Amino acid sequence: MSRLLLLLMTSSATLLVFGLWIPLKAVVAQELLEIAWAESQARQTESRPWPWADTWPVAKLSMPELGDSMIVLAGVHGESLAFGPGQMMGAESQQGTVIIAGHRDTHFRPLQYLEPGNELQLQNRDGRWQGYRVREARIVDSRSEFIDTHKLPAGTLLLVTCYPFDTMDTGGPLRYVVEARAEVIRTQVTHSQDSSGKIDTVAGL
Amino acid sequence: MMFSALSSKHSAFLLCLSPPSQAAGAPPETRCEYVCVRSAPPLAASCSCVAARVLGRPSLASPRRALRSSPMAPHGSRRAYSLTEGLSARQRLRILHFMEGISLWLAVLLMLFVQPLYAEASTGSEDTAGVLHFVDGKGQWQEPALVLGSDFDIRVSGLIADSRLVRTFRNTSDRWREGVFVFPLPEKASVYGLTMKVGERTIVGEVQPREEAKKTYEKARDSGRHAATVEQQRPNLFTTRVANIPPGATVSVELNYQQLVSYRGGVFELSVPTTLTPRYMPGEPLAATPQQWQGGWAVPTTEVPDADAISPFTVGVADVAADSHRASVRFTIDAGFPLARVSSPSHELATQQDGQVMTVEPQAGEIVMNRDFVLRWQPLAGQEPGAAVFHQQWEGEDYLLAMVMPGRAGKTRLPRELTFVIDTSGSMAGQSIRQAKEALQLGLETLAPGDRFNVIQFNSQPHALFMQPEMATANNLARARQYVSRLEADGGTEMAPALAMALQSHVKGRGEVSADASPDESTRVQQVVFMTDGAVGNESTLFSQIRRQLGDQRLFTVAIGSAPNRHFMREAARWGRGSYTAVQDPSDISGPLVRLFAAMEAPVLTDIEVRWPDQSASVQEDSFPRRPGDLYQGEPLLQVVRGIPPAGELSVSGRLPGGGKWQRSLDLQQADSGLGLNRYWAREKIDSLLDEARVEGQEPDKAKITGLAVEHSLMSPYTSFVAVDATPARDPESTLVKDDLPTLLPAGSQPGMTRYPQTATFAPLLVALGLLGLMFSAAIVLLQRRAYP
Repeated sequence: MSRLLLLLMTSSATLLVFGLWIPLKAVVAQELLEIAWAESQARQTESRPWPWADTWPVAKLSMPELGDSMIVLAGVHGESLAFGPGQMMGAESQQGTVIIAGHRDTHFRPLQYLEPGNELQLQNRDGRWQGYRVREARIVDSRSEFIDTHKLPAGTLLLVTCYPFDTMDTGGPLRYVVEARAEVIRTQVTHSQDSSGKIDTVAGL
Repeated sequence: MMFSALSSKHSAFLLCLSPPSQAAGAPPETRCEYVCVRSAPPLAASCSCVAARVLGRPSLASPRRALRSSPMAPHGSRRAYSLTEGLSARQRLRILHFMEGISLWLAVLLMLFVQPLYAEASTGSEDTAGVLHFVDGKGQWQEPALVLGSDFDIRVSGLIADSRLVRTFRNTSDRWREGVFVFPLPEKASVYGLTMKVGERTIVGEVQPREEAKKTYEKARDSGRHAATVEQQRPNLFTTRVANIPPGATVSVELNYQQLVSYRGGVFELSVPTTLTPRYMPGEPLAATPQQWQGGWAVPTTEVPDADAISPFTVGVADVAADSHRASVRFTIDAGFPLARVSSPSHELATQQDGQVMTVEPQAGEIVMNRDFVLRWQPLAGQEPGAAVFHQQWEGEDYLLAMVMPGRAGKTRLPRELTFVIDTSGSMAGQSIRQAKEALQLGLETLAPGDRFNVIQFNSQPHALFMQPEMATANNLARARQYVSRLEADGGTEMAPALAMALQSHVKGRGEVSADASPDESTRVQQVVFMTDGAVGNESTLFSQIRRQLGDQRLFTVAIGSAPNRHFMREAARWGRGSYTAVQDPSDISGPLVRLFAAMEAPVLTDIEVRWPDQSASVQEDSFPRRPGDLYQGEPLLQVVRGIPPAGELSVSGRLPGGGKWQRSLDLQQADSGLGLNRYWAREKIDSLLDEARVEGQEPDKAKITGLAVEHSLMSPYTSFVAVDATPARDPESTLVKDDLPTLLPAGSQPGMTRYPQTATFAPLLVALGLLGLMFSAAIVLLQRRAYP
């Protein structure tokens, strides 16, 4: 009987620890990522936060109204999302569309407090900040809707997280999407005919 | 949902803890233990067992069985047994009373813990009012409630394949549904019948002018009657709507269509399209609303005003119900001659032969509708038909269908100027682009010294390898190979500029070449090979462009992917005076392409003239195709005519590549009887009327086409089928929910649009479960300490 009880208690405690470990990891990792971000800015290279990481910081996202900022990692696989929001699509894409996704339980939890008109700042590796203004926030069903990246207006920033915010369901199909537009529309030279997919130089600001 | 799991666990605990309270007054005959063990995981089972031991009934079978599965169980049970042994009846009663108290407290605690979660969850869905677009008023996402099944029964006799396609819409929800499904049919199909089946009732549909049919359908739908309609959006793309599908019931829609079997190089081929590649819609959106929130359905653009009607959601196989979007296919081939081989490049086959009749089914039974089903059959070597005539009398009119196969010509190879155009748009991503690259590499291999060539790739913009066609030297070929191997699929499908670049580069190159005045330059054969999946919505504009810019050139199309737009491929080749080839799967690339490249070396027969016994103007008016194009190696000449009785001789003549004359005559009295020739003729006539309008740049003769379609009861751009039940089935109070059925993403292709990533962690769930477990153990500890000091 007592062994059974012990087993129950241990497993519950383990579950609890694992559950608390996820947000803790998210917080701690951001501290480490700050260092890696500083390093990659200084060296202008992809610098991995720890040697075995399969992701690296690509941008810094700041929400001045909420007093929150975080390092954005490359890719949206489980590994990168555990430590920070992941960039699905970067500014080098066709029209400068940036799509960032994050866990609703950790980094992107504050997304629910963003309102139209709020400011967002995105810092790229060369240290320049790009200002964005939130246009709207919507809930979409990921089963019936896709992100048609070709049809997004130039200079769009999409922040994506799971919805609803307070639920235990991890596989729900709903997503909360915040759409922001760049403050100063960056003038972009159209793609040269070269197919190598090089980034075009960006004027403006 | 996780909530439901949680709550069921919760109720299991309560059940397990409450029996003692009942048992206090009544003899221990309650069946609670059994209930617990059945409905709850081992945790609950072990608890029920404890309760059972405390009650002093160690002989219950079910808890024991549950215990045996747990490694900890033997110790626990033995101990519990020994504890209860020394207790008197009074003590037992006291324990029971105590446990009742504890269980009540625990229940209250659990309620307190779980209740806020419920509350949060419900507000979470409610406060989204006004921003939701794809969730209904109650905050619930709409699941596809209709399960779609398809059944193809295809009978081939001679050159005509007659198909019966039954689509069943099974409503799995408890509300009335309207199903809308966009689906492809073979590119030259003549749809001639629609029948709706609701339970035992069968309603035969009729042809009506498109607008009228739409009104009939909508009226029936709004009045609650069963109704079905099928509309043509493109010659190979149709929309079916089925109104008032009762909850839990099935409505099936039977479609009859026929098509001509393709015969080339001694091989007969028939394809059954099951899905469509999402099309690219060029042009600016007409509506000012943001597009990406429209939910997969593209918005009308300046180039494609009906974009929303031809772009259903495309989802993966995993996104539909396990038994939805499956098709059973059955071919019955009565070719009229012994068959050597029946094969399919797309699916494994199970064949059965009965005399000359062959029955073919896919080996796997039902197939997933994400790949075209292609079937090929071959006559015994040496018995390939060289000519055939079929005759049918329909409503007093004679219809004749004739096929003539020109013989193989001797090879006279002319130097060529070959331009390869490869589609690198987003819709080609995945297997398609690999196929296309492989095909292109094969094409490069066929170049001989003395040929000129160029490679053009296009997505949102075209890009050429060379400024103008270059000589096929080893150096240039190596450059081309490298260029091709680096191609990647991404971006839009802007075909018009690519076509212009390919068709006009020839003209430009030629102008410069004439300066060198090398004698053979003028005789150079100019060919364009166009490799694409044809996933565009503005086909018509492109055909006009091909016609305008073609000049002396020839355009060959190679259809790539699991579900190419065959209509586009075939018509583009026809307008380009070339031929079209479909590549089915990676292992199948070389076969068709080698044939194509071999055929491209020279047309076998040009300047073809067809003479029917009666050469009156009306007969010439009614024979199709009116001006037969050039024939390439292995291609037959097909002619259909109205108003000629099966008597006399048909003579066909043409010019061979060397300049010689080729002639052949067919005795029409030998004609076999055929079926459905009138429909084939009518479809050809309608197509030719549409072609004429396109050539002249005018609106097609709508009245004439409608009349023709109604006469032969055919689907056309201006006529639709509609079937309406007489009596209303749905009472006006219950609402009707529209369900747009998705189509499946073609196998091997990547979605052109990005999916939303999964962005939730297990943290809240783990925390909740952990806390719950700890509270529970705390309660038990409390209980133990109080009960057995």
